[in-house]
Amino acid sequence: MNAIVSVSLLLSALGLPLLLAFPALHTHLPRPIHMALLPAATLVFIPVDFAIELPWFWLGAGLGIDALSRWWLAMSVVVWGVGAAFVPTPAKCDGYNPQTSLLLLFLVGQIGAVLATDMIVFFSFTTLMSYACIGLLLTHGDETTRRAGRIYLVLLILADILLFEAMMMATATTEYLDFATLTKAMTLSESSSFYLSMVIVGIALKVGVWPLHRWLSLSYYSVRPAMALLLWLGPVATGLLCGLRWLPLGELAAPMAGAVLLAIGFTTIFYAMLSVSRVQWKQRLICVFFIATGSFVIGLGTGLIKPALWNQYGDSAHVFIASLGWGLALMTAGLEWFKDEGETSGSSNENLTELSVERWFDAFIRWGGGMGNETLPELRSSWFARCKGLRQKRGWQNTFGTGEYFLQRWSIATTLFILLVIVTLVLLLLDAM
Amino acid sequence: MNWSTALPLLILASSFLPGLIIFCLPEDRVVTRTILNLAGALFKIVLVGGMFWGILHGYHFEARLTLLPGLDLVLRSGPLAMLFVTLSSGLWLVTTVYAVGYLEGSPHRSRFFGFFSLCVTATTGVALAGNLITFLLFYELLTLCTYPLIVHRGTEIARQAGRNYLIYTIIGGALLLLSSVWLYTLAGTLEFTDRGFLSGLDASLHPTLMIIFCLLIAGLGVKAALVPLHGWLPQAMVAPAPVSALLHAVAVVKAGAFGIIRVVYDVYGIEFANSLGLTLPLAILAAVTIIYGSLRALFQDELKRRLAFSTVSQVSYIVLGIALASPIATLGGLIHLVHQGVQKITLFMCAGNLAETLGIHKISEMNGVGRRMPWTMAAFTIGAFGMIGAPPLAGFFSKWYLGLGALDAGQGWVIYVLAVSSALNAAYFLPILYTAWFKAPPDSWPAERSFGNKETAWTLLVPPIVTALLTLALGLLAFAPFNLLEWTRLIVSRGFA
Repeated sequence: MNAIVSVSLLLSALGLPLLLAFPALHTHLPRPIHMALLPAATLVFIPVDFAIELPWFWLGAGLGIDALSRWWLAMSVVVWGVGAAFVPTPAKCDGYNPQTSLLLLFLVGQIGAVLATDMIVFFSFTTLMSYACIGLLLTHGDETTRRAGRIYLVLLILADILLFEAMMMATATTEYLDFATLTKAMTLSESSSFYLSMVIVGIALKVGVWPLHRWLSLSYYSVRPAMALLLWLGPVATGLLCGLRWLPLGELAAPMAGAVLLAIGFTTIFYAMLSVSRVQWKQRLICVFFIATGSFVIGLGTGLIKPALWNQYGDSAHVFIASLGWGLALMTAGLEWFKDEGETSGSSNENLTELSVERWFDAFIRWGGGMGNETLPELRSSWFARCKGLRQKRGWQNTFGTGEYFLQRWSIATTLFILLVIVTLVLLLLDAM
Repeated sequence: MNWSTALPLLILASSFLPGLIIFCLPEDRVVTRTILNLAGALFKIVLVGGMFWGILHGYHFEARLTLLPGLDLVLRSGPLAMLFVTLSSGLWLVTTVYAVGYLEGSPHRSRFFGFFSLCVTATTGVALAGNLITFLLFYELLTLCTYPLIVHRGTEIARQAGRNYLIYTIIGGALLLLSSVWLYTLAGTLEFTDRGFLSGLDASLHPTLMIIFCLLIAGLGVKAALVPLHGWLPQAMVAPAPVSALLHAVAVVKAGAFGIIRVVYDVYGIEFANSLGLTLPLAILAAVTIIYGSLRALFQDELKRRLAFSTVSQVSYIVLGIALASPIATLGGLIHLVHQGVQKITLFMCAGNLAETLGIHKISEMNGVGRRMPWTMAAFTIGAFGMIGAPPLAGFFSKWYLGLGALDAGQGWVIYVLAVSSALNAAYFLPILYTAWFKAPPDSWPAERSFGNKETAWTLLVPPIVTALLTLALGLLAFAPFNLLEWTRLIVSRGFA
C-alpha cells in the first residue's frame, strides 16, 4: 500500500507542477506553486525508500527516493515554500505573464533532478530547470537581471555540452547510466580523469563559483532575496547535487581534481568575504550564498582527495546542504518580512551594455553576413583592404574584386571544380592507404 | 496479381492517381481538390499501415516489371524502405493540410497540388525501390516534380532558383546514372541486398569500385546537400513554405541521404565499404558539412535561409552516422532521418505561419512575436530545442547514439564535431527564441492578416503543433512498444554481420 502511495506521490510530484505550468490551469488558482508542491511535501514524510523505472520513457527513466535524497527533497520543499511566498508576481501586460509557468517548470526541473536515479533523467530535468531559470531572469524587468540571464545562457550551453560528453563517455566505457553503479564502474575506467575534468568544469560553469560567478552576483544584486534564494536552490544547489551524484566520491582518489575543487571553493569563500564589506547589510545574504557554495565545493574536493574520509562522513554532506538550505530560507523569510515597503533591489555598478561575448558574436555575424549564399563564400576584397599594410594597395583590391566577380558568375562551374578536387584528393588518399 | 504484388503499386497509386486528377481540375474546385488530396494521403497511410502489419507477420511484398532483359523495375518492402515510406506518407498528410491552408486563395493551386502529389509518389518510389535502376528512375522523377514547385511563385528569383536546382540535380542524376551503368557492367546486377552485392568481386576491381563509390556519393550528395554541392538548397528557399517543408523534411534532401544509406548498405555493404577505406572520407565530408552548414546558418537574418543552412548541417548527421560504420552510429543516423524530418517540418511550417500571418521573413523582425503567436512559437521552440539536442526531445537521442557510435567505432574526433555543432546549433536557434519571447513587440507587424481572435488559421496552426508534439513524443516515449529504435535496430542488424 505504502509503495503504491509513494509511486503515485513520486509521479505527481513532477506531474502536477508540469500540468499546472499551463497558463489556462494555474491562472484561476490561488498560490499554484504551493499547490504544486504538495505531493513533494507529502513524499518527504513517507519513510519508505524506493525507486521506479519507467521503461517507456527516455532510455528507461529512473526515479526514486532514499534517505539521502529525502534530505534534498525536504530542503527543496522548504525553500520553494518560502521562495514562492515572497516572489513578486508582475502585473499582467497584454495578458502575457509567463513567470508562474516558468517558476513551475523550474520547480519540476529541480525536484526531478533530486528524484533522478540516473544520469539521463538528471540531465534532462536540470536542462529544463536551467532554461526555465534563464526565462525567469530574462522576463525580469531589470536590465541587470536580463544581462545575468544572457551570461548564464552562454555558460549553460558550455556546461551542458561538457556534461553531455561526460555522460556519453561514461556510458560508452561502463555501459551504466544509474548513479549507483556508474561511479563504481568509472573508477575502473581508463578515461576516468577525462571524465572527472569534464564533470568538474561543467559543474563549475553551472554553480557560479569564482571566477565564473558574474551572472550569479549580477542576478543576486538585482532581484529580491526570495528570488535569490530560488536561484541558489536551482542552478547552484542542483549543480552541487550533480557533483555528489556524478563524481566517484569515496570510490576513486583523484588528488589533482580534488585540489582544483579545494582551490575553487576557498577562492569563492574569499571572494564572498571581501564582498561583504562592499554591499548593504540586506545584500549580505548574497555573500552567505557564496560562502555556502564554496564550503560545499571544498567538501567535494576533500572527498576526491581522501575517499576514506568521504566514506566515513560523506552522508553528512546531504544533511549539511539541507540545513544550509533551511537556514538560508529562514534568513530570506526574515529579510522579506522586514523589507521596507517600496524599497527596490540593489544594483551593481556593471556596464549594462552588451556582453563582450555578445559583441564578439555580433561582430562575427556581421562579418559572416557579407558572405552571400554561394557555394563559395564571396571573397571580400574590402576585408583584405582593412588589413594593416594592405590598406593602400588598391592593386590587391582589384585582384580580389575580379576574382570575386568571376566566382559569382561561375558558381556552378566552381562547385564542380571543387568537387573534382575533392574526388581527386579522396582517390589519392585511398591510393596512399 | 496478389496482395503482395499489388500493395507496393497501390501505395504509389494512392498519390499518383489523385495527382493526375487534380491536374485536370479547374481552379475553383477547391473542395474536390482538398478531398482528393486528403483522401489520397489518408489512403496511403492505411496502405502503409497494412504493409507494416504484413511485414510484422512475415509477409514479403514485391512488385517486379521487366524494363529490359536483366533490368527490372522493382518495388520491394523492407525495414529500411518502411522507415522512409512511413516518414514520407505521415508527413505528407500533415504538409497537405498545411498547404491547403497556406495556398488558400492563391493562383495555380491545381498545378501545385498535382505536382505535390507526384512529388510524394516519387519519394515513395525512391523508398520502395528494390534496385539501383528503380531508385534512379524515381530519383529523377523527384527532380522533375519538385522543379515546378520551386518556381511556383513565378518570380524571377524563383525561376533562377529553379534553374539552379535543376542544373545541380541533373548533373547529380547524370553522375548517378553513369555510376549505375558502370556498376552494372562490373557486377551484372543492381539489386539491393543486405550487406551489398559487391564484396564477391575480384580484388583487381577494387580501385574501380572506389571510383564508382565517389561518383555515386557525388551524385547523391547533390540532393543530400553535402558541401560543396549544397548551393541549390538555400536558394530554393523562395518556394512556398509547404514546398520548403517538403524539400527539407520529406522528399528531396531525404532522398539524397536515403540514397547514400542504400549505396553504403545495400550496394557496397557497410563492412565491404569500410574495408575499402571508403567510409572514413565520407565521415570527414559529413563532419565538414555539419560544421560548415551551422556556421553559415549563423550569418543568415532571413529565417527560412537560416533553416536551410541548418538542414545542410543536420542532414549530414545521417550521413555521418552511416559512415562511422558502427551499428550504434548507424542507429543514430537512421533515427535522425526521422527526427530531423519531424523537427524541420515543424520549423518550416512555423516560419510559414509567421510569413503568412504577420509578413515576417527576417529574424530581426521577430521581436516579441511569441506574444502575438504563442502556439506557433511554442511549436517552433520545441522544434528548435529538438534540433539543438536538448533532452528529452527527439534530437537528443540522435546525438546520443551518434556520440556513442563514434566512441564504439574508435572515432573520438566525432565527439568534438558533435560538441561544436551543438554549440553552433544553440548559437543560431537560441537568439531566435530570445528575440521572439523576450523582446518587446513592435507597434505594428510588416503585413498583418486578421484571423479574428485566433492567432492564425487552424489549417496553418494544427500541423506544426502536431509535429511539435510528435517531436516531444519521439523523445519521451523512445522506448514505448513499436518504437522507432527497435525498428532501426532491425535495419542495423541486417547490415552488420
